[in-house]
Amino acid sequence: MVDRYAPTSLAAALDLMAHEELVPYAGGTDLMVDEALGRPFVFLHGIEELKGITDNEDSFIVGAGVTYRELLAHPATPELLKEAVAQIAAPAIRNTATLAGNIANASPKGDGALVCFAADAEIVLRSAETARRVPIASFYEGRGKTVRRPDELVTAVIIPKKHLAGYRFEKVGARKALAISRVSFVGLMTIEESVVAHLALAFGAVEDVVARRPAIDAMLIGKTIEAARGAAEEYLAAWDEAIQPIRGRVSAEYRKQVCLNLARDFITCRLG
Amino acid sequence: MSKTQGSSHDGATAAVMSAANEAVTTATLPTTAAPSVRAVSVSFVLNGREVTWEGDPSAKLLDVLRDDLRLTGVKCGCREGECGACSILLDGVLVNSCMVAAGRVGGTEVTTIEGYCTTERFKVLDATFARRSAVQCGYCIPGMVLAAEALLSANPHPTEEEVRTGISGNLCRCTGYNAIVDAILDASKEGEGLW
Ligand SMILES: Cc1cc2nc3c(=O)[nH]c(=O)nc-3n(C[C@H](O)[C@H](O)[C@H](O)COP(=O)(O)OP(=O)(O)OC[C@H]3O[C@@H](n4cnc5c(N)ncnc54)[C@H](O)[C@@H]3O)c2cc1C
Ligand code: FES
Ligand code: FES
Repeated sequence: MVDRYAPTSLAAALDLMAHEELVPYAGGTDLMVDEALGRPFVFLHGIEELKGITDNEDSFIVGAGVTYRELLAHPATPELLKEAVAQIAAPAIRNTATLAGNIANASPKGDGALVCFAADAEIVLRSAETARRVPIASFYEGRGKTVRRPDELVTAVIIPKKHLAGYRFEKVGARKALAISRVSFVGLMTIEESVVAHLALAFGAVEDVVARRPAIDAMLIGKTIEAARGAAEEYLAAWDEAIQPIRGRVSAEYRKQVCLNLARDFITCRLG
Repeated sequence: MSKTQGSSHDGATAAVMSAANEAVTTATLPTTAAPSVRAVSVSFVLNGREVTWEGDPSAKLLDVLRDDLRLTGVKCGCREGECGACSILLDGVLVNSCMVAAGRVGGTEVTTIEGYCTTERFKVLDATFARRSAVQCGYCIPGMVLAAEALLSANPHPTEEEVRTGISGNLCRCTGYNAIVDAILDASKEGEGLW
């Protein structure tokens, strides 16, 4: 028996989605936490075109059907992504869960999304008629909301490799029992000839969407280590001002403080 | 292991099971839920036998296995992917059946503890779990055994740390894990050549 909601080609899936509103099902590990029955799933696991991993000179491209297990096993997966993925849940979840699902789920707690924010990744969206690439920072309209149209699928995630080397990844209070204190952090800094060539911080679970502020990071980029050290307090103050903790949560201020501490520690470690 | 199954009818377990039953009743009836509900028929190989199930493809496989197909070795501890009691092998890969939609398994091979316990590999794990007294109430054990199988089939000679990672998604409220870890390490030695 062939279930037409388990298409085996991307064209067939997009054709279905052009005609009715369906819920894309990748690993199901976010979707199935909810008890609501009757959701019209379109199952993506049979679509070969979504299973590729491509390691280009300057980018690492992850197909929407690639599981965490496959990412961990792949020799070219960037270390930062590997480290973040290895800490997501347990083997049974990582065996089916996907990076695209993590991003499309639009939770500010997504660890894969966090890495993609720090790396300035792009999301590839396809419909039966259209194809577009959206920078991850423009992909979200709020918690649980993305610019994806109902007829579109995320087909791949493009992660630029350029700045990934000098990374730090931290996940604080990640046990579910401690969920309210959970904060995650990625810091990327590249220093070339004593100049800050690149800087990107990203924080998970503190705002409605992962917090990333290129304009603040620009305050230190291009400065010598010496000058950056001098500007560090101003830089951290700008982050303090910028982070708008999710309102109405008792833990929000605490989480913001954890973020600022992580930022301070990262910056002072790297700048010496 | 038979002792294990006998003891799973204690009060706490019964409560969990009846909660699961309630959820399923809604799953299998054509409901009030969204108009988009569409019953499908899903054919797959279950413990070596072809089966066809009909119902809402978004139902949890856990409920389908326990309540419709009566495989109660698949335990229900949380319904949220946290405890591993509902572990099964889907095309040989360890998954939590509460995190899998019924519609996902068409054309696949599903193995539950009921199917696995007929294998030579199971006999080795059965013996080492017994010798190490790794089973107390037994609720987590079907999941633990399948997690052990998934681990050993990918890595026949795991280190202790690899065993702990392999069962990291399987919670046990009784044993403190050490006896389970030892039992799996013993099995990796005694089952030489089987994995
Ligand atoms: C016990 C447990 C622990 C977890 N721990 C963590 C953790 O530590 N960190 C973390 O970040 N996450 C965690 N998760 C959440 C989850 O595993 C991840 O977010 C996972 O990456 C989701 O991927 P998926 O393929 O399972 O998504 P699905 O559940 O299949 O989908 C998630 C969402 O994305 C949409 N979607 C999926 N694929 C596409 C596509 N190709 N195009 C468009 N939309 C799509 C779906 O419609 C849905 O809205 C945990 C989950 C569980 C159950
Ligand atoms: S019942 Fe499925 S993981 Fe707990
Ligand atoms: S033996 Fe009781 S939960 Fe593990």
